[in-house]
Amino acid sequence: MTPLLKLSSIKRFFGAIYALKGVDFEINTGEIMGLVGENGAGKSTLVKIISGFDNGYTGSFALNGSEVRFANPSRAERSGIAIAQQELSLIPSMSVAENIFISGDSVPAIATRSALARKAAPFLEEVGLEDVDALMAVNRLSVGEQQLVEVARLLAQEPQILILDEPTAALGESDSIRILAMVKRLAERGKSIIYVSHRMDEIFKVCDRITVLRDGESQIPQTASKLNVASLVELMLGRELVNMFPVHGDVTSDQPLLEVRDLWPDGTLEPFNFAVHPGEILGLAGQLGSGSGDALAVIGGAKSSRDGEILYEGDVFLPTSPTEAIARGIAYCSDDRKVDGLFLGRPILENMTSPALKSFSRFGIIDQKKEREQALSNGEKFTVDVSRMDAEAGVLSGGNQQKVALGKWLAINPKVLLVNEPTRGVDVGARAEIYQKLRDLANEGTAVIFASTDIQEVAGLADRVISFYRGMQVGEIVKDQITAASILQQITHPFDDVPQKPEMAE
Amino acid sequence: MSAPITQPTPNWLDRMVRDYSAFVVALVAAFVVIFFIGMATAPNFLTLFNLKTIIRDAALVGIMAIGLTFVTLSGNFFLLSLKETAALSIVAFATSMSAGYGFEISFLFTMVIALISGVSQGVLIGLGGNPIVVTLGAAGLLFGLGSFWSDNLVISFRRPHGAEWLGTGSFLGLPNITVAFILIAIAAEMTLRYTTFGRQVYLIGANRAAGKATGHENFGMAIKTCAIASVCAAFVAIAFSAQFSSAHVNYFSSEFGSSGDMTIMVIATVMVGGNSIMGGYGSSLRSSFGAVFISTVDNMMVLHGFNSGPRVLAVGLMIVFSIMVFALVRRGSRSQE
Repeated sequence: MTPLLKLSSIKRFFGAIYALKGVDFEINTGEIMGLVGENGAGKSTLVKIISGFDNGYTGSFALNGSEVRFANPSRAERSGIAIAQQELSLIPSMSVAENIFISGDSVPAIATRSALARKAAPFLEEVGLEDVDALMAVNRLSVGEQQLVEVARLLAQEPQILILDEPTAALGESDSIRILAMVKRLAERGKSIIYVSHRMDEIFKVCDRITVLRDGESQIPQTASKLNVASLVELMLGRELVNMFPVHGDVTSDQPLLEVRDLWPDGTLEPFNFAVHPGEILGLAGQLGSGSGDALAVIGGAKSSRDGEILYEGDVFLPTSPTEAIARGIAYCSDDRKVDGLFLGRPILENMTSPALKSFSRFGIIDQKKEREQALSNGEKFTVDVSRMDAEAGVLSGGNQQKVALGKWLAINPKVLLVNEPTRGVDVGARAEIYQKLRDLANEGTAVIFASTDIQEVAGLADRVISFYRGMQVGEIVKDQITAASILQQITHPFDDVPQKPEMAE
Repeated sequence: MSAPITQPTPNWLDRMVRDYSAFVVALVAAFVVIFFIGMATAPNFLTLFNLKTIIRDAALVGIMAIGLTFVTLSGNFFLLSLKETAALSIVAFATSMSAGYGFEISFLFTMVIALISGVSQGVLIGLGGNPIVVTLGAAGLLFGLGSFWSDNLVISFRRPHGAEWLGTGSFLGLPNITVAFILIAIAAEMTLRYTTFGRQVYLIGANRAAGKATGHENFGMAIKTCAIASVCAAFVAIAFSAQFSSAHVNYFSSEFGSSGDMTIMVIATVMVGGNSIMGGYGSSLRSSFGAVFISTVDNMMVLHGFNSGPRVLAVGLMIVFSIMVFALVRRGSRSQE
């Protein structure tokens, strides 16, 4: 049987640099094909070629057995290939139905809102949003639901092949589950789905086969059931990743370095109380909207709190700005490096030294030599490519950008490092490096607090875990009890075995 | 892992290449072409007198543009009140001079007024006010004050006076205002490149949220940059008044430069120089060069007898052209990975 889509020996060069140097890819009707690889392995280039965004390749591209070359994305769409990108292309203030038929191809020129809603219903049903009112504005839906609307919009164009590029990157656990359910349902109805993701567990949950890209080359597609996480990672890296997570350290001090008392970040339900010791990595586990990230932002001065105080170095305070936190040696790295973690248009060097200009300046004059030394040595510690210090940070891949966003805080020699989602959108190799570096910092006496929605990450990295659920601090897990299962239980339905706890919902 | 980290500081040539990319090459090339056209078609173009005129014309707009560059680079867009700041300043200076207070006192008096005006606009912008709305409002206020104060009359003061050296004096054959332009251009460029303040200008301009997260607040930045821009405008007003020994609130509104409006000319200069309108990318040297460029084109058109209509058109075309080239060059340099 000929595959629905078959690409063979695809090559793509950008100037002298290759992005793809020989990729074979195929997908059958009704199949879910996982596409995985480290950042920079060529996933996005391949996806761009398949969806018609990039036609500067060499090699053969056959759809239904006949050779094609798409001049632009709309040609690809007409041939039945649709892509849901990481950045949603919905118009927030318009209704769900209007968004679904935004291209206007399949509806009459004049249609009432309710007629649109009727037409939208089957597509909403297909993605599992049958309960959503199609006349509701999109911005009133959760991010996960918006993601589903995006897919419904693509389905309205009747594609044969659907490409989902990191559909769950910004989603919490429950929304992710809905996406995965939808993917399975669509495949059962005969759609072919290319599923791009960094999340190993999802790949194994939904994919029939998996194509691994490594360094611009494809590996032979493998049946998912014949692989496990370790063998897949090995395929991605071309080597065995001995240990993703570094060995836990010993927390020697009983004396907390920083203590949070009745901290009540805006938008959360109850005040939080916890403490962190020097040399400890404290994990705040919780899904999106659980409040774990908000707690970090408040300590870092980036978000306001209704109430509460921080005990730190014999001082009681509540920072009103990041400037104040930085002055005390508290560094906060947000979960979105593009928004406030990086100066994308400025050189990597300036990014690396941005929080500590004073440390290499005298009377307001920058000592450029000193600055470069500092940037290089900190860059080296975070395995940032030091030969590219003068390149704009925007040209780096996601993993390297994250290393710069985190590594820049070494410049202030932080005593407390707060990291929200340390490895969002970061590939496996860079992840391990980031974990190792956080552990190194802890071993040097820094207190590290991180918040994450990735359960594996919390279980593997944290010395102690505080769990959060819908704006409430629900529990603490220590030492041997830290397992993915125990964390999952606490952050998804913490009150199941505590019936005396009153129901919070009104 | 243990690669040696002995990476040398790039030398000045590398830095020039890095900082003054394809856009500057294009601008310089355009400049050279225009220069040769000028030589070929206008017999008076290459006379020493005419060249001095070009730089002299560039100086007044250029100084103001350098001040505004700080605002633009820091991501605070433009001040639409520059012309009016100059108008109030020139009235203040001339009034003080004609009252017999002497140059130094009058200079300080004017600068204090400009500083107050700049700082107040900066505070409002720093608190989150829209720069366009804030400075448009300020423009009306400042012009109204100047007009009210001077009764809309020309204020003149008698020669000889203490400001003549600035207005009509010269140094090594260069008019002093030109010398001032060169000195200010150098000082501004050094400030942007080598001081922590300059670095903050770029960082906050490149990403205000990331600036806040790393301890560089836009509040202080807006105040400082608005103050710099206003002080530069006041300096130009003083030099202008010193030249003519008089002042009127409309000096910067009509028949100034080719477009007849100082604010528009200054903004055009910043943009033609190739500074990012969104901030974070550019330099004051670019603005200085933009001033010389516009002034050269304008001069050539004057020599060919064009009246103000086509000259305004030329400025407009230069802006459109430079924005296009700038966008293309920036996109080219970013599409590497």
